[in-house]
Amino acid sequence: MGVYLRWKQPSWMVDSIRMRMTSHLPWLLSALTLLHLTVQAHSLKRGTIQDLKCTTKNMLVWDCTWTPPVGVSPATVKEVCIKDRLHSCHRLESTNIKIAALSPGDHEVTINYLNGFQSKFTLNEKDVSLIPDTPASLSLSADLSSSTLHLRWNDKGSAFPYPSNATWEIKVLQNPSMEPVKLVSFNTTLNGQDTVHHWDWASELPLQCATYSVGIRWYIDYHRFSGYKVWSDWSLLKNISWTPNSETNVFPQDKVILAGSDITFCCISQTKVLSGQIGKTFCPLIHLYGENVAIRIQNISVSENSGTNVVFTTEDNVYGTVVFAGYPPDVPQKLNCETHDFKEVICSWNPGRPTGLVGPRNTDYTLSESISGKSVTFKRFETLTNESYRLAFQMLPGQEIHNFTLTGRNPLGHAESAVFINITERVAPHVPVSLRVKDINSTVVSLAWHLPGNFAKINLLCEIEICKASSEQEVRNATVKGAQESSYLVAVDKLTPYTLYTFRVRCSTETFWKWSKWSNEKRHLTTEAIPSRGPDTWREWSSDGKNLIIYWKPLPINEANGKILSYNISCTSNEETQSLSEILDPQHKAEIQLERNDYIISVVAKNSAGSSPPSKIASTEIPNDDIIVEQAVGMGKSIFLSWHADPNMTCDYVIKWCNSSHSEPCLMDWIKVPSNSTETIIESDQFQPGVRYNFYLYGCTNQGYQLLRSIIGYIEELAPIVAPNFTVEDTSADSILVKWEDIPVEELRGFLRGYLFYFQKGERDTPKTRTFETGHSDIKLKNITDISQKTLRIADLQGKTSYHLVLRAYTHGGLGPEKSMFVVTKENSVGLIIAILIPVAVAVVVGVVTSILCYRKREWIKETFYPDIPNPENCKALQFQKSICEGSSALKTLEMNPCTPNNVEVLESRSIVPKIEDTEIISPVAERPGESSEADPENHVVVSYCPPIIEEEIANPSADEAGGNSQVVYIDVQSMYQPQAKPEEEQGIDPGVVAGYKPQMRLPINSAAEDTAAEDEADKTAGYRPQANVNTWNLVSPDSPRSTDSNSEIVSFGSPCSINSRQFLIPPKDEDFPKSNGGGWSFTNFFQNKPND
Amino acid sequence: MSQIKNQLAQLNGSANALFISYYTAQGEPFPNNVDKLCGPNMTDFPPFHANGTEKTKLVELYRMVAYLSASLGNVTRDQRVLNPNALSLHSKLNATMDIMRGLLSNVLCRLCNKYHVGHVDVTYAPDTSSKDVFQKKKLGCQLLGTYKQVISVVAQAF
Repeated sequence: MGVYLRWKQPSWMVDSIRMRMTSHLPWLLSALTLLHLTVQAHSLKRGTIQDLKCTTKNMLVWDCTWTPPVGVSPATVKEVCIKDRLHSCHRLESTNIKIAALSPGDHEVTINYLNGFQSKFTLNEKDVSLIPDTPASLSLSADLSSSTLHLRWNDKGSAFPYPSNATWEIKVLQNPSMEPVKLVSFNTTLNGQDTVHHWDWASELPLQCATYSVGIRWYIDYHRFSGYKVWSDWSLLKNISWTPNSETNVFPQDKVILAGSDITFCCISQTKVLSGQIGKTFCPLIHLYGENVAIRIQNISVSENSGTNVVFTTEDNVYGTVVFAGYPPDVPQKLNCETHDFKEVICSWNPGRPTGLVGPRNTDYTLSESISGKSVTFKRFETLTNESYRLAFQMLPGQEIHNFTLTGRNPLGHAESAVFINITERVAPHVPVSLRVKDINSTVVSLAWHLPGNFAKINLLCEIEICKASSEQEVRNATVKGAQESSYLVAVDKLTPYTLYTFRVRCSTETFWKWSKWSNEKRHLTTEAIPSRGPDTWREWSSDGKNLIIYWKPLPINEANGKILSYNISCTSNEETQSLSEILDPQHKAEIQLERNDYIISVVAKNSAGSSPPSKIASTEIPNDDIIVEQAVGMGKSIFLSWHADPNMTCDYVIKWCNSSHSEPCLMDWIKVPSNSTETIIESDQFQPGVRYNFYLYGCTNQGYQLLRSIIGYIEELAPIVAPNFTVEDTSADSILVKWEDIPVEELRGFLRGYLFYFQKGERDTPKTRTFETGHSDIKLKNITDISQKTLRIADLQGKTSYHLVLRAYTHGGLGPEKSMFVVTKENSVGLIIAILIPVAVAVVVGVVTSILCYRKREWIKETFYPDIPNPENCKALQFQKSICEGSSALKTLEMNPCTPNNVEVLESRSIVPKIEDTEIISPVAERPGESSEADPENHVVVSYCPPIIEEEIANPSADEAGGNSQVVYIDVQSMYQPQAKPEEEQGIDPGVVAGYKPQMRLPINSAAEDTAAEDEADKTAGYRPQANVNTWNLVSPDSPRSTDSNSEIVSFGSPCSINSRQFLIPPKDEDFPKSNGGGWSFTNFFQNKPND
Repeated sequence: MSQIKNQLAQLNGSANALFISYYTAQGEPFPNNVDKLCGPNMTDFPPFHANGTEKTKLVELYRMVAYLSASLGNVTRDQRVLNPNALSLHSKLNATMDIMRGLLSNVLCRLCNKYHVGHVDVTYAPDTSSKDVFQKKKLGCQLLGTYKQVISVVAQAF
């Protein structure tokens, strides 16, 4: 770069050429040729300079050099003259000249040579280049801990016109590759003085990881210099150097960086590095040069207290470093300064966000006070809780206004906060100490305490907390004038005598800022005073009316004003005053023997300070016959009573109460109600639910007390705890009379509201009747609300039935337990009688009707059932008239016609229950041992019956008709009907005759013993005889199982049947008629309608 | 001598817990690289020969305990700065140093009374105050690793 001077053509010449060229081009070409020849000739005469170059370093001196014309030696230069300048010619023997800067504009410069040649040219400032000297850096240093290069140099501004702008360019090269890692430029101003500049550069890579070189150059921009501005040459490179530590191979060491930033660690190693890690995290290795490597950590997180370890593992060792990542201090928050004693100011603050740095990297705080110019420093290694950040600043005497600035500083930065205070408005006194209490009288004490500090210029506002033992609390304020290291005294009045108080004090200032902490508590018992009133008194006459019992209540502590030692009781009548002995305190009752006169009883309580005013009560009780006992029920643990105002009651009302079950005199407690009240609520811890109490309301008149009302009541009604004891007084077939007793009051536990009576059918121990199921339809319930009723008749019951009876009492508290009983009603005798009489009557009527019918139809019956049996003796067929037989030859002989016998087989009876196996009929004759020798061995007797055959001659047509119609065939007669013994007259009959006819006869029931009797009656049964005893008939119906099991052809019937009919002539009893099985059927049941009966 | 044995037993009983507490407080990767970072490869650690005479053993014990006591002092100081909130570690270090002081006194007393040895030349570990943090951590860990290993041998030797 450079500016070269050249020959400057005269301007007029150029212009003339331009003018001619436009209009006369041929002429112009000729002229140019001519001109060229002219110039060549002129040049040869004057000489031509080449490569004229003018530069300046400081714009004051120009340095011009040129190349002499061809053929001219540089040594032949004689002089250089500059037109329009003093001493315009400079003798010269070279082609280089330094001249003072020329003024702006063209300057003609002539160079004369020894050989006579002359060169001329025009020189202008615009043709001059400003090239400043190469900057020389003063120093290059490195801060290895921060990996920062520090470059310092001097601009030598005194050598330049000012103000000038200087532009600098700095380059950083990383060795050994000499690659530029940083190139920056920046501007400065030259002010006419030599100024040292510096430039710092923080390397991402620790400086220990490589060597660095730094170079610098510049150029100057001066606004009045119209020439060229050219960069200076680069300065010589400066290198940084450090001495490596043999133990330290990893860089940077112990660096503190902002959390979240990026950082590079390098390891300088002679051996191969195997891995690099931060904490537990391995990172990719970045190769630097040789065996050196680096790792890049991005967005590093806050370190633990001991820092974050970065470790490189080589083949033979482990190298590492520790980095501390954290935050700069947060702005101190809630900076508060106050004093406790005007000796020092305590400032406390909240450090805000934790920095994550501890130990030597922890935040240091400095508290500076700008007015006094003093400061204190807070420095601790440990991490503290927020409350611990406080600094004490010693106050200067008399300084009230303070301007505090708190600055927190750690390796990553600093932050500050300020507060401006008037310390008199920021007083939080120390805790008052040495609190003392002293009695002045029974209601006034003095309190004294010590408050450390210098409060001479201000007033103190103190609070005195007064607590009674009953936890009642009162706070009183007291203002005292401040003093220096002094004790303070305050009188506390309006206290209660003989009361244990607890005092404590805290203080502030009138310009309130904060209360001090409460002092320690001080307990104090005030002195005693006389009791403020007499005890609450009542009296009762003893049950025999001879003694008067006086009761009084202990005075409450706030009225006793001390410890009551004793009570004095005195009686005053019209005549005298009787003083009784002292009653010591624990006793609150006295019994005195008095006649039933009017006395005024006076009770006085005494303590160590004196006696109370007397409490008086009249012994007389004004009678009142118009007392009605009322009932009342309370609520919870209280009971409400009200009454009508009685103008006669001038003093007060007294309500006393007692447990109703206690004997007289009954007194649990009493209360007094002002005379203008008409109601009260009585509460007592002694009240218990379910207990009956008597309440008596007395009115007080000048003459004495009068009973106004008597009330029985419960605080709370409960259910009875016992069941009423009940008995059955009377029982009939359809009713039960029940009677019960009252429940004792103690067990009733409430006002009896009625009884519930349940009953239902049921027997003891049957599940159905053990308990009464709710809603069971069979249960009948009677609610007896008339509590005076003690009996109950239950009617409309069923006879001879068990009933389950249950009785329960109830109050408003609920149902009591139940008592149950089982009662069986009596049997209904009328029904029994009816049940007997009706069948008998029916039987009689049936018998009579049957008799009448039989009598009227006797002929028909006889003919039907008992037809006359012809007497064989009267049979003419068998009569042999002698006359005929003897005298007439015409007599006919009995012609024996063939007779077809009817075989009737009689089965032998083998058991009482007959089993019919065939149709044989066992002959009774055959059973006789003596007569059975000729019988069939099988005891079968074949009765050959041959009906009389009367041919053509019918002696008795009616008899024939009867005989023809009366063929009675005995078939299938059961063998159980044994034939009776034959009558005597028949025993002589030939068996063959017997076999010919067998009369009907009564069959015995298989009893040999009866044979004799049967023989006795043989005469009576000689003729026709009705069939055997009906009582022996088997009452088995034809369709009974037995019948159905039998062969229908051999079924035996208990009744004879006609030949035309197999039906019983005497019909059997109704099958539906219940058998008398003795299983509990009774006439009573006959009259019961209900299924469950 | 029983005092010495008891104190050695005490030290032996607490050495492992102290070691664990130490390398845990140094952060990762110490707990996971105990072998590499805390290996007992201290070159200047006083030797101890368990098969020597009692006098020799007492002299060597004295040297060793003096070395350990001084080194633990450095470790304690460094950890107070580096881990100000690791109170458990501080407590263990202080307790160990207290026992060592007592042991040192007892050993010297024993040497003096029985063997009339009134002075024992001792060596100390170099001061670590100027070393970088990682070196402090590593040297402390190596010291405690060596101590844990040696103290068991010493405790058995008496």
